[in-house]
Amino acid sequence: MIDPSVMPDKLAAFLTRHAGRAATVTNYEPMTGGYSRLMAKATVRWDDGKVEHLVLRGDPPPGKAMMETDRATEWALLSALGRAESIPMPAARFFDATGDELGTKCIVLDFVEGRSLQSFLNDCEPGAYGHHTFDLVDTMARVHSIDPSDVGDAIARPTDWSTYITSLIDRFRRADRDHVESNPFLRYVAEWLDANKPAPLPLRIVHSDFQPANIMVAPDGSHQVIDWELTHIGDPREDLGYYAVYSASSGPSLIMQDPLAFLARYRERTGFGEDTINLASLGYFSSLAAISVYAQILAGAGAMANGLNSGIMTTYTLNALTVGHANFMGGCVAPTA
Amino acid sequence: MLSKPTTPQILLDCRRELLETIDPAVTDPTVKVAIQMLENVLRNCAERAAHEIAWMRSESDAMVAYARDVASTVGSTAAIDAALAEYDKGDNVSLELDAVSDAYGRAGECLSTALERVFATGHTELHLRGRAILDVRLAHEDAIKGEWAFVGRG
Repeated sequence: MIDPSVMPDKLAAFLTRHAGRAATVTNYEPMTGGYSRLMAKATVRWDDGKVEHLVLRGDPPPGKAMMETDRATEWALLSALGRAESIPMPAARFFDATGDELGTKCIVLDFVEGRSLQSFLNDCEPGAYGHHTFDLVDTMARVHSIDPSDVGDAIARPTDWSTYITSLIDRFRRADRDHVESNPFLRYVAEWLDANKPAPLPLRIVHSDFQPANIMVAPDGSHQVIDWELTHIGDPREDLGYYAVYSASSGPSLIMQDPLAFLARYRERTGFGEDTINLASLGYFSSLAAISVYAQILAGAGAMANGLNSGIMTTYTLNALTVGHANFMGGCVAPTA
Repeated sequence: MLSKPTTPQILLDCRRELLETIDPAVTDPTVKVAIQMLENVLRNCAERAAHEIAWMRSESDAMVAYARDVASTVGSTAAIDAALAEYDKGDNVSLELDAVSDAYGRAGECLSTALERVFATGHTELHLRGRAILDVRLAHEDAIKGEWAFVGRG
């Protein structure tokens, strides 16, 4: 999928077959920035002369992925969100479900003109992020305002909050059990989270990798959310906690500048109350939320230890596990002596 | 064997070569990102090579001693007993990396089962002592990590 010498012809044939009209690929280039999947951008000219840009998002070769997720599930989810017009996002256009046509299982999406929010933040003077902070909050709140029924059965729907949170906490223990060596951080945090559960919230769509590199800013300033591969139905505070821990290691952190204002805006936009959205619940979910990504990275590390995975992406992201440990512990307040 | 230059010195020299010779000759942005990642991994490996056996050894001793203290202070569990027995029957003497790493994993299970017992009993002093052991482990991981952020994103 990343070989520009063969992909233009393959992609043109694929698009022609699936769109029912002739396509010519006039440019094809791999993209940087995607960690879990291969990415490429293509320029396509259709037989009516119309030109458009498309993005390909495909699986790395076997044994080279830093995390394993299912393209068919992602395709079903993107298609459902698109049909329901739940939230601004690039349209998912085509899917090679087997990898027979494009070399790997691959989703073809609309390309979003503009830059990522992360790119805008990188250009800001430290501390001077202006409207970007509340824009980010509003986009997060918009994700959490999606009616979960919009996605139909594309992703699993937990029965209730209590069962869901208990199973999420148990993922720490499962991650430890499945790994190649004992990890006391995981067992400690699981115990702490079990003992300190917050008040429940309605289950909603959780993006699970909500951070500024996954928000594209259109020329008019509007946001489009990308990279939904880890999305599930869960507690919306997972995204708040995940963003807090992600931005602490890959800043700037728009939440830690003024967490009370950030949370107040979030409450205003979602209608959730202060009993559920507060500093304590932010701390709790800062520990809990990263387990989805963490467990995937840990599984990659375990596969590498067993000789089943290799590649710079896996070794490089081992450090994210250390970041995870720091965040897990940071959210679990120690008892007073 | 030649002990000097040390493994960290060799790895850091590889890193220098990567940055000063290879990186300037590369134009492909995806390869540029891979070089930044490699640079980071080489730094991590240099730090690990310098300390990992000593760190795993000292942490293992602390984790096992803690589990024994928990068992004697608030009473043991089948899980603590099993973890300690597994630790005791393994090779905890060899300084070969694989042996030290295996012992570290077994000692980690001792700590995990002891922490679970401490939560069940609500013993604050043992809780804080357990956290202190985790803090040392985290400090070692942080030293290996050094400066780090997701490169190439944005």
